[in-house]
Amino acid sequence: MLKQASTVGARNGRPRTISAGQQALKWISPAGIVLIFVFGYSLISLFTQSFRYDGKWVAFENFTLVLTDPLFQTALKHNFYLLFTVPVMVFLAFLLAVTLFETRRGMSFYRAAVFLPYVLPIPVVAVVFGQIYQLRGALNIFLTAIGLDGLAQDWLGEPKIALGTMASVILWKEVGFGVILLLAHIISLPSEVFEASRIDGAGFFRVHWSITRPQIMNTIVFFSVIEAITMVSWVFNYVYVMSNGLGGPGDSTLVSELYIYRSAFSNKAPELAAAAAVCLFLCTLLLVVAFFRIQRRSISGTFGR
Amino acid sequence: MSITRRGIHGSLLGGASRYLLLTFMAATALIPGYIMFVGAFKTQADFLNSPYGMPASLSFGGFRSAWTDKFPQWLINSFVITTGSVVVSVFIASLAAWGFAHFPFKGRETVLGVTVSLMVVPPVVLLIPLFQVGVHLGLISTLRLVIIIYVGLMLPFSIYMLTNYFKSIPNSILESASVDGASPLRIFRSIVIPLSGAPLITLGVVNLLWAWNELLLALVFLQSNEKRTLMVGITGFQSRYSLDIPTVMAGMSIATLPLVVAYLFGQRFFIAGLTAGSVKGE
Amino acid sequence: MNSRKNFIIGTAVLALLLTACSSSSKDVSTAKKITFPTEDLTLNISWWGEQEAPGATKWLEETMALYHKEHPNVTLKQVLQTTEGLVPAFEAAAAAGAGPDIQYFWGGIYAQQPGWDGHIAPISDYLDAEELSHYINAGVEEGYQGKIWTAPWYVNPSFPLLVRKDILEKNGLTTPANWDELMKVCDVLSKKKITTIAGGVKDGWFGGWIYSILGGQSVQSQKDVINAVVGNTSFTDPEHAGWWVKLAESKTHKCWNDDINSLELYQAQQRFVDGKAAMTITAGPDAPNFAKKAGGDSNVTIMAMPAWSDGPMAGKMGTTSQTLGITKWSKYPQVAADFIKFGHTAERLNAWYKLTGSMPADDRFDLTQVESQSTKALFESAISGAPYLENFIPAQLDAEAVFKNVQLILKGSVTPEAAAADMQAQMERLRKTDRKLVDNFTAWSK
Repeated sequence: MLKQASTVGARNGRPRTISAGQQALKWISPAGIVLIFVFGYSLISLFTQSFRYDGKWVAFENFTLVLTDPLFQTALKHNFYLLFTVPVMVFLAFLLAVTLFETRRGMSFYRAAVFLPYVLPIPVVAVVFGQIYQLRGALNIFLTAIGLDGLAQDWLGEPKIALGTMASVILWKEVGFGVILLLAHIISLPSEVFEASRIDGAGFFRVHWSITRPQIMNTIVFFSVIEAITMVSWVFNYVYVMSNGLGGPGDSTLVSELYIYRSAFSNKAPELAAAAAVCLFLCTLLLVVAFFRIQRRSISGTFGR
Repeated sequence: MSITRRGIHGSLLGGASRYLLLTFMAATALIPGYIMFVGAFKTQADFLNSPYGMPASLSFGGFRSAWTDKFPQWLINSFVITTGSVVVSVFIASLAAWGFAHFPFKGRETVLGVTVSLMVVPPVVLLIPLFQVGVHLGLISTLRLVIIIYVGLMLPFSIYMLTNYFKSIPNSILESASVDGASPLRIFRSIVIPLSGAPLITLGVVNLLWAWNELLLALVFLQSNEKRTLMVGITGFQSRYSLDIPTVMAGMSIATLPLVVAYLFGQRFFIAGLTAGSVKGE
Repeated sequence: MNSRKNFIIGTAVLALLLTACSSSSKDVSTAKKITFPTEDLTLNISWWGEQEAPGATKWLEETMALYHKEHPNVTLKQVLQTTEGLVPAFEAAAAAGAGPDIQYFWGGIYAQQPGWDGHIAPISDYLDAEELSHYINAGVEEGYQGKIWTAPWYVNPSFPLLVRKDILEKNGLTTPANWDELMKVCDVLSKKKITTIAGGVKDGWFGGWIYSILGGQSVQSQKDVINAVVGNTSFTDPEHAGWWVKLAESKTHKCWNDDINSLELYQAQQRFVDGKAAMTITAGPDAPNFAKKAGGDSNVTIMAMPAWSDGPMAGKMGTTSQTLGITKWSKYPQVAADFIKFGHTAERLNAWYKLTGSMPADDRFDLTQVESQSTKALFESAISGAPYLENFIPAQLDAEAVFKNVQLILKGSVTPEAAAADMQAQMERLRKTDRKLVDNFTAWSK
């Protein structure tokens, strides 16, 4: 580790003692200022607002109203359901990554194809899938054509499955990111890892389950956490465009972000939106703590070298 | 090394099932794009009749209606906001990451942890207070405010990624430079940055994608039609009375084109950068 | 920054209080006579409407140009908003206290609420009562404690049912005269796999329309609805809940297209034009266009929704006007008012009809120039039509209770009783969360 604390300006022959902290501050401050404005100010203002109505202090009234709102409870429930997409996504990403790893012919084409959805803008994806998933849309036409018309559903119009439909779109778009992450890691593994098992004659699944998976576990976890965060905090775009901003049919695709947005901008109740946002933030704090702990491990690991 | 980088192909998974899976995946990945692109060239009735097929006759009506007088303006706005926020965020993130990576100060891990953890904050949570500030300062419908907010949102991930990478630069290089008398700033400029080409580009690409595709904040902060970004503009195509699917598809196609082109050319950088930046290994 | 925010909030509250105080005076003819400014000025107009009355943009640009000719020192600019963006853009302007001078508002609650919030200057302050008396629906929808908030611009007959006589005849049917006959038509057509009424509820708006044309039939007047809003009656009472049952009935009789839940409104209406559905419901200003596209008067009948009850408004066409208002922060309200008035001169009224095919909201409009019989009948019905119910409930109730439950009923996911109960529950909640609602609505109903 470089000892910067006391050797700055050594060229002049007169060492000035500036603490490492102060030096770091110079480098970090531009980012720090932006972060304090965007995050710090916002979170503080949010907290203060959630306790007021029309400028007057109302203590926990807003929170009570929000937490007793069946709509908000539904919204949180839906975010929770969406979390179940993550294991599916991770598994698919892993499967595709190892399959790509094993493929020589056409690998770059397939890799390019699987990553393309991630590049596309969400509004575009949502609109196109909105068309595909209609009752008389492309998907059902296809299913009927291959004789599976029993499977044809009102993907977007049936409240019971609308959320699942939306999850499928999110999955379609995000899985490519995981594939690239995992694949990159697998490729970088030393070949000896596989050599031994090849000699042993182990089959595809055994190799990848018992060897590859543990080796790239930290990337798998990283991807899982990122996607879990997405399901709670970053699905607004999908839902907004695919449900025309309503969270329909009925309330079946309402998520907390949409609830907050509607409270603030459609229903003109910013104080309720603030209270709901605080609740959501507290929920995501759980994820923050988890993320923090993972980062500490990898950061310590990083710094410990 | 007797096993190529491409892996232990051939014997471990039956070729047929492997290609079946990959083909299915590729089809699923590409068909929506195909539908969108082909749909842009159809007439409304044509699209409703056969969403999958090729256009009965090439029609440019969709493109004509989509390329309204505001479309070029939206493109420019998106371009300005994206370039601005990406350049600024990568720049100050690299400064901050160097600050974290290079100077061991007390509580460094905590501060870094908190900074990176900001990634999980839902943007909608910040939306209301920031909107109010924006109204207060008269900055609604300005590109400046959106750029600053985007930078703020991209910083946690950027700092995380670059700190990781900077730490992986061998100490030997840095130490020899310091012994030679170079100041931290000099080391940063002449050694660290040149070495970090791939991760910086990768970060730039990741942030570029995020900024270009962002919808919610642009929707709220850019109310005036002249200042809208492309994403907001094309979302508006799909409003209560938007009937014309080919127009929607045409607008979407135009919106996606820059990205796809950049992707096809820059794919290499992205993959290589990810390999070097986020994976600790060799 | 905090104290500044408090100052602004305090000012808003003060403004609200002042508005409330001054509204108790019932003197309407306080039209201010101010000399027309001579300096150069710009007026910004933020509006909506091309979406339902194609040709409106052209009319507006024309009107702006003509006005500029008469008053060269006045420059006018217009911005057409998206449907989802109209209200948020205005809210942002209101929060900033700066923005357009003339703002578009849908009728009823959509014009009342900004008035209650103190964001608009009543048009009755600038145009005299005689002039305003010609503006259709001004009193019913925009009247508040003796004032008129905004000025009706064009009429939206709400909502015409368009019927393709050719499809009915081909299947041996006649135009239904009441609800039961309509159900029979649905039975016959659905057996032949023909859609009777084409609709789309994915984007929600259609739900509000249906509420108005079905729900309006069982109430005595819009005051009944306001009573339920403030809590004197309940949305589960028979006069408010009956229409849910009828809506469910229409689903059982398979009146609608099977993909109504995954289709957006306008996409569904296209089916009518293409001959794939026997009927559809359109926005009022758009009905003549649709009729023309589907073959004109010989093919298409434009009528009110058939009656299912014997209330005073059953079988009557609803009517509402879309309006233009003057914002509170406008520096030249009198010029804005003058421009609005200019839009009501005879030449401009005729031009509106010629460019959009729909009716301007002025009873001085000369109906003899309307050639199509169905269109003329439509216009006449709109002058003395039934109130448009959706405009008399809080917007949030509309979106959260009406839109959603219509979607669910049409899917068969809830019972009509549950839908009515949900609407009542939401209203009760809304009275708690919107702490000024009861007072505002009560004052409105007086």
